[in-house]
Amino acid sequence: MTPPDSAQFPNAVVAARALSQQVPTADGLLAILSEVELAVQAGETLAITGASGSGKSTLLGLLAGLDQPSAGEIMLLGQRLGNLDEDARARLRAGRIGFVFQSFQLLPALTALENVLLPLELAGRADARERAAHWLDRVGLAARAGHTPRQLSGGEQQRVAIARAFATDPEIVFADEPTGNLDADTGARIIDLLFELNASARTTLILVTHDDALASRCQRRLHLVAGRTHETALA
Amino acid sequence: MSFARLGLWLLRRERASGEWRVLLLALVIGVGSVSTTGFLGDRIKRAMSEQGASFLGADLLVTSPRPIDAWPAHSLRTSSALEFASMVSRGDAFQLATLRAVDAAYPLRGEVRIADRPFEAGTPRPAQPPPGAIHVDQELLTLLNAEVGDTVQIGESTFRIAGVVVEEPGQLGGVFGFAPRVFLRADEIEATRVLQPGSRLTWLYQFAGEPEPLSNFSAALKPTLETTQRLIGSRDGVETLRGAFANADHYLQLTALISLLLSVAAIAIAAHRHALRHYDQAALLRCMGATTAQLRVLYTVQLLVLGLLGSLAGVAIGALTQQALAGLILPEAVTRLPSLGAAPVGVAVVSGLLALAGASLPALMRLIRVPPLRVLRRDLPPLPAAAWLSASVSGSALLILIAWYAGDAKLVAGFVGALAALVAVLVLLARLALVAGRGVQKISYGPLRFGLAQMLRHRFDSTLQLGAFTLALFLVALLALVRSDLVDGWRQQLPENAPNHFLVNIAPHQQDAVAAYLAEHRLEASELYPMVRGRLVSKNGIPIADTLPPEARDSNTLRRELNLTWTATLPANNALLAGTWHGERRGPEISVEAGMAERLNLALGDTLGFESGDQTIAARITSIRGVKWESMQPNFFVIFAPGQLDTLPASSIASVYVPPDAAGVLAGFVKTFPGITILALDKLIANIEAVFAQIIGAIQLLLGFLLAAGMAVVVATLLASLDARQQEAVLLRTLGAQRAYLAKGLWSEFIALGVLAGLLASVCAEVAMALIAERLFDLPPRLHPWLWLALPTAGALLVGMSGWLTTRHITRVPPLQSIRALG
Repeated sequence: MTPPDSAQFPNAVVAARALSQQVPTADGLLAILSEVELAVQAGETLAITGASGSGKSTLLGLLAGLDQPSAGEIMLLGQRLGNLDEDARARLRAGRIGFVFQSFQLLPALTALENVLLPLELAGRADARERAAHWLDRVGLAARAGHTPRQLSGGEQQRVAIARAFATDPEIVFADEPTGNLDADTGARIIDLLFELNASARTTLILVTHDDALASRCQRRLHLVAGRTHETALA
Repeated sequence: MSFARLGLWLLRRERASGEWRVLLLALVIGVGSVSTTGFLGDRIKRAMSEQGASFLGADLLVTSPRPIDAWPAHSLRTSSALEFASMVSRGDAFQLATLRAVDAAYPLRGEVRIADRPFEAGTPRPAQPPPGAIHVDQELLTLLNAEVGDTVQIGESTFRIAGVVVEEPGQLGGVFGFAPRVFLRADEIEATRVLQPGSRLTWLYQFAGEPEPLSNFSAALKPTLETTQRLIGSRDGVETLRGAFANADHYLQLTALISLLLSVAAIAIAAHRHALRHYDQAALLRCMGATTAQLRVLYTVQLLVLGLLGSLAGVAIGALTQQALAGLILPEAVTRLPSLGAAPVGVAVVSGLLALAGASLPALMRLIRVPPLRVLRRDLPPLPAAAWLSASVSGSALLILIAWYAGDAKLVAGFVGALAALVAVLVLLARLALVAGRGVQKISYGPLRFGLAQMLRHRFDSTLQLGAFTLALFLVALLALVRSDLVDGWRQQLPENAPNHFLVNIAPHQQDAVAAYLAEHRLEASELYPMVRGRLVSKNGIPIADTLPPEARDSNTLRRELNLTWTATLPANNALLAGTWHGERRGPEISVEAGMAERLNLALGDTLGFESGDQTIAARITSIRGVKWESMQPNFFVIFAPGQLDTLPASSIASVYVPPDAAGVLAGFVKTFPGITILALDKLIANIEAVFAQIIGAIQLLLGFLLAAGMAVVVATLLASLDARQQEAVLLRTLGAQRAYLAKGLWSEFIALGVLAGLLASVCAEVAMALIAERLFDLPPRLHPWLWLALPTAGALLVGMSGWLTTRHITRVPPLQSIRALG
């Protein structure tokens, strides 16, 4: 098996080859992902779709280097993840990868501004505070900068999370069911915002969703059925 | 931004969170407790070291019950003094005082400070007053209602009070002295005529000079000293006192350590909950690119800052409490103690950090090993940190802490062993109590049933809370019992109208007049017993020390002079245990008290040799007596047959019952017989009681920390179960339970816990007290019904309040909001 490398995927920011993930259960090993092949070019938007339990979030976690696969290789931002340990993968993510989660994952003790500030501070950006304020303004929450997540609605919280994801000018943004906890209207507005920011920042966007409307806005869709891929080009 | 700064930033934003507050509070309590004793111990130790040679008032001190005339040749400076007890009176007021007759050279080292008015700092002056004057303790002025310049009576002489003694060498050691100090001139004792044959006198010979002549002198002197004479080097004096103090200090410190360890339990629980609630934060930070090392820095900095803050606040509280504590145990000496030292601050802060590290390392180690994937899968637990590693790290932190306070390995083992046994007993008792609680739950209904069900369901928490609170209540109760029972028990054992005053130092020529005076005022007096002072030197011709095993040679009976008496009639409260009472037989026979016979291995037929002055008397033991010491009659270890001691100088002793309304008679007695010393037993008992109360009050102050630490454990465990409780409350409210129902349920749970803790503590205190009373003080054990009411009430109040305050808001949150918050 030839591992993927930069030569094979000249413009790929994320690539996977023969990717499998198995977890031990009482009845033996359970295959969650099998032989997944994937390459995402810089600036591309990709939707990973599938039914519950089809392995979407597992794939997202593996691609972002949050977990290690049972077999196969992943290339992230030009680095082979198999060669990196947990801490090296973390260093690779710092400032270069943004995340948007279904449950927002804002720190409850910090204000909206401080939540956006957090990844900037971690990445050691000099103009952190200005950038955070700028991004909060971009998502329309400049007036709520001093509010804590508890004082914000679900949609507002997700907007803060989106600002946080884009604030460091990441090369890739991973989004896990970004509208999963929101009502349809709010969800639609969040999606508009996400794609608008993504287009202007030319970020690679990889999102997991079971919402067809959302998936249809991406250039490509990777459909998972029982851990195997069926890819369709959309746009 | 560095991760250290990020840690501080996050800490600042989270400062209001419950776990931090409990953790900090527990730390403040624990450190407050150890720093209180730390500060106090340090101040006293430094006071002792600073005094050095001035502690004895000399480089070398020889004490003797008799004057010493012959000394080895020396070139040292010398001073001599004579110390004895006598009455000092002014008008109708009279007081027993410790008189020290000094020469002009006293003291050779250190200084005596004399003030012209009470409560002034005074100036260093010779202790020896001008002719016709005395220097007295502030306390004596109060007792006699006198001022500087007034005149007082000592024996047959009148003295003017020339100044107040503010400070004298060795004063720290005499904090608990019952008789206030009086300095007078050695050459004016004779005229007072208070010294009688048989008076208990102590001659103090002081020496000062260069080290070499001192050591030569002391080497030459040692072999010539008798057992009743003691040679004390300046270092010995301080060392002896310091040794005794160090022991007491050790136990106080260990008491404080128990509070710290209980705080550790509260900290561990709070830290665990803190970690649980921060797994998401840690996972998110890892997601954003933080490495394990960076997270370690972040959380360590947070912990370090909390540790320092908590420790410093604890030190501040300790500094305040030690002053109160000093006031309780050393009321006289507080102002003379050196100011607060820096060393205990370091010790307390390091203790606080060690305790915090020991308590929170396991939680911290789990926190930094959270897998980043948790951001996607919330149920993912953190990677288990190597259990043996975190257990051994925190175990050794706590062991270092205990070892540090306990000092030697034996005490560490003892302390850890006792602690483990105590924990085992408490856990067992708590579990049994919970089983009993289950029985109550079955027959109860409504909120009470719900509350008890909660208590039983959180079995681990309940056991911990019960154990912690039982321990705190038990120790507090035990001290209260020791204090009240022992003094009460002693008082109750005294027969009614038992003699309450001893008349000592009655000269032979006064005997008839004293008897007449007492009869005239209808005072019931015991028989007058003649008293001769003598030292037991031999048994069957062999030096007494040689007949004893080495450990028994240091007996007090050998070191001090005994009061010897003679009489033909067996005293009323004595019982003949062996042999025949000598009665009127006028041979060399003696009767010995049973306890002394046992200690010194004496038997019927043994011949004992006594030395009194320059005479030696030998007599055979023909009877052994049991003595009821608590009868308050004059009691003697050795009673001679009549006629044997006639040639020796003797004074007499009697005991007398003075009804409370006849106290004025004593004032008249002191005026009529100024040389006779009156020992008031009520005052003596009251004094002992006061000292007892002081010491126990001080320990109880420390136990206040223990109670607070117990409350911290309750709050920490409740906080840890708060989320689960809130979920249940929401469910119940959604199902239609009213707020009052939930509130009653909570109250029932905490009151039940408090009552159970109180009952367990009562059981423990009664058992411990019965053992102490019987084994140590020979008092019959008895039950204390009030305890069974007071402890459960106190428990219900304290646990109820802290429990309710911690959990009450879960009854107030509207169900919808709670469901959202939990979602």
